[in-house]
Amino acid sequence: MLELVNFYLLPGLVLGAIYAMSATGLSLVYGVMRFAHFAHGDLMAFGAYAALAAVDALGISPWAAIPIAAAATVPVALAADALFYARLRRSLPAVLLISSFGTGLMIRAGLYFVFGPTQTGYGMGFTPPLVLGALRIQVRHLWIIAGAAVAALALHLLLTRSRAGRAMRAMADDPDLARITGVDVAQVIRLTWAVAAVLVAIAGVFLGIDTQLTPGMGFNVLLASFAAAILGGIGRPWGGALGGLLLGMAEELSSFPLIGGAPLLEPAYKTGVAFAVLVLTLILRPQGLFRGM
Amino acid sequence: MALLEVRGVVGGYGEADILHGVDLDADAGEIVVIVGANGAGKSTLMKAVAGLVRIRAGSIAFAGEAIANAPAETMILRGLAYVPQERNVFPSLTVEENLAMGAYARPAQAAAGMARVFALFPDLVQRRRVAAGQLSGGQRQMVAIGRALMLEPRLIMLDEPTAGLSPKFCALIFERVQAIAREGVAVLMVEQNARPALAIADRGVVLAMGRNRATAPGPALLADPEIGRLFLGG
Amino acid sequence: MDAALYAATLLTLAAIYAAFSLGLNLQWGLTGLMNFGGLAFVAAGAYTAALLTAAPSGTHVGGFGLPWWLAWPAGALAAALLALPVGAVSLRVRTDYLAIATIGIAEIVRLAVRNEDWLTGGPLGITGIPRPFEGLGQPWGQLAYLGLACAAVAGLYALAEATARSPFGRALRAVRDDEEAAKAVGKNPARLRVQAFVLGAAFMGLGGAMMAAFFKFMSPEALEPVTVTFLVWVMLIAGGSGNNRGAVLGAVAVWAVWAATDWLAAQLPGELATRAAYVRLFLIGLALQLILIARPQGLIGERIGTQR
Repeated sequence: MLELVNFYLLPGLVLGAIYAMSATGLSLVYGVMRFAHFAHGDLMAFGAYAALAAVDALGISPWAAIPIAAAATVPVALAADALFYARLRRSLPAVLLISSFGTGLMIRAGLYFVFGPTQTGYGMGFTPPLVLGALRIQVRHLWIIAGAAVAALALHLLLTRSRAGRAMRAMADDPDLARITGVDVAQVIRLTWAVAAVLVAIAGVFLGIDTQLTPGMGFNVLLASFAAAILGGIGRPWGGALGGLLLGMAEELSSFPLIGGAPLLEPAYKTGVAFAVLVLTLILRPQGLFRGM
Repeated sequence: MALLEVRGVVGGYGEADILHGVDLDADAGEIVVIVGANGAGKSTLMKAVAGLVRIRAGSIAFAGEAIANAPAETMILRGLAYVPQERNVFPSLTVEENLAMGAYARPAQAAAGMARVFALFPDLVQRRRVAAGQLSGGQRQMVAIGRALMLEPRLIMLDEPTAGLSPKFCALIFERVQAIAREGVAVLMVEQNARPALAIADRGVVLAMGRNRATAPGPALLADPEIGRLFLGG
Repeated sequence: MDAALYAATLLTLAAIYAAFSLGLNLQWGLTGLMNFGGLAFVAAGAYTAALLTAAPSGTHVGGFGLPWWLAWPAGALAAALLALPVGAVSLRVRTDYLAIATIGIAEIVRLAVRNEDWLTGGPLGITGIPRPFEGLGQPWGQLAYLGLACAAVAGLYALAEATARSPFGRALRAVRDDEEAAKAVGKNPARLRVQAFVLGAAFMGLGGAMMAAFFKFMSPEALEPVTVTFLVWVMLIAGGSGNNRGAVLGAVAVWAVWAATDWLAAQLPGELATRAAYVRLFLIGLALQLILIARPQGLIGERIGTQR
């Protein structure tokens, strides 16, 4: 039982928190701009590597590099929008999707070019886990969960208490009506990119802290992010957050040896959990838990 | 010179013109009701004034300023508010948040605007924290009209405000429309419920096939047997 | 002689890409379906054909030593069978979910190819896949294979053209352009979409079978999302989606650029050569963006049977 909590549930919560931040941004972008942003994973990798550059150059800890990573990722998202997506705004959502695929490839190529293809890390060294009775928890895991909770709270306040956040929700509800009420659509779109980029950059640093960095790391979590967003109900940020948490737990629990000594699912196929969740959602509840758009 | 002056407007969606040269005036404090058969161009005319439909010829002046084809998001700051027929509230936002969106362009006026709207539609007060998507049709219409009134517009355009409402709510909406006009706001209204609407109209405009068919005070149109037979269902 | 062989290799690969591109055109160009998992269907065709034609081996199932003309259609069929459930599940809902689902199926197939050693030989792959006409010796065997690949593509092209012009093709376009109107005249959009998706996947599977035979060796290394999936998208968009001639032309043109830049990069010294490959990756992404913005209809726009 304790093994379940220590080695499966807690790591699942950590992975879930990372997916949640990614899926929330994905859902926000989908809600406001109505297209599936396929470069989202690569933005995440960009954030992780931006933090790596700061760690290497300034000798700071990756936690301290989070604001730098976020600040570096926002302009990339804004540039992709200004250079490419803004020019395609009147096209079909599919065209924007293909364009974002191209953006993702460009970001990934840039990371490969600068940092090379090999795995790397923030070099944090080993810290012994906290022992709370029978519970053993990695300190970095605690920080990741706390960080995700703070990010969720900040997003909640932004969306419900601020004028700009309300405008984002209004755009997601009905873009035409938002225009009639005088919302500066271009400004809301920029804000949405900024929020999504900050969230996904933090998720990237967290993922780098929890595991390793590779330029392809973002593309690898893209499927999970989408599965989480669709499970939650696409366009609904809180749905994305919940979907991310559930999916992260499901992925870790999938390798739990429930029956006999063998894991439920070979760890090599962990990615398959996201796909299975996606397929089951599409079959059983295509609008997602929170009734997406 | 009238507050709103529409002259010879030609336009529509894509290649197809729906309006073939329409004129329209509305003065401060006046209720103007547009009637006509389906496809006559009533809603399109309103959308053209609101900046949502491009016009290819003609002119639209508001308070002496040319506003034809100005971006829709700038209209509210000119004092011109528009309530579409459907999808006229943000369903996932609460009543209060919907009203706050009405003051998006001038947040400083939100508190005062909300007080006025709640005075006009007291039913909304106790539902202020309910998501607009969960309201009844009549209450939703109140939220939509309230949202449009938040920045004290000089002209409010209502596209079929009573569509699908019970007779009780219809009467309430018409009564409130008169109250709004008494404050000096010009009200431009498209109505399927043509008879009760024309009864309160200072000016009735009959459109047919994208052209003006007749313009007269509402009661005079009601009294005209030919108009009644052709456009008001006998 | 070397130059002739090199040219034959390039042209054969261009023909294989043309098969992928024609398949994607059926899906995206004709029907508006976004398939970002072309890799999965290529792999299904390639591994099926490889297992059927290769000599028996201790490291994986089979091979069965069957002739190519039996194995290639079987490869196409395997890809179609893989596409059927994917399309049936995701196309019930909406088309943009297909893009995500296909990324998922491509990931699963990649994992399976790597991990199911008994079936695919795992990372070691499948060796000794016979290539048709190799008995003729060089260069004639290679040229004959090029001829076969071109004939296969010509066949696929003819089939794609016939499809586009058939009532079925018209129905697909109708569904793509205005789903509601198509429904109103009694079409079943979901079913039409699944059919088009499966047919396109079969094209990709056949291309995969041709690829496995050409390489004579099939391993996970040959299945990179960038070269198998993304490059095909660039080819189709560049050539002109909705137009089969554009699909073929785009495949040849983009492949020529890709191969030429590959050759150029290889001339650079060590470290730079690796980096140049990433620059190329960046530029292909940028090229896609520029085409989408500046010439969305591609080199040749859609022409067949449309009155627009």
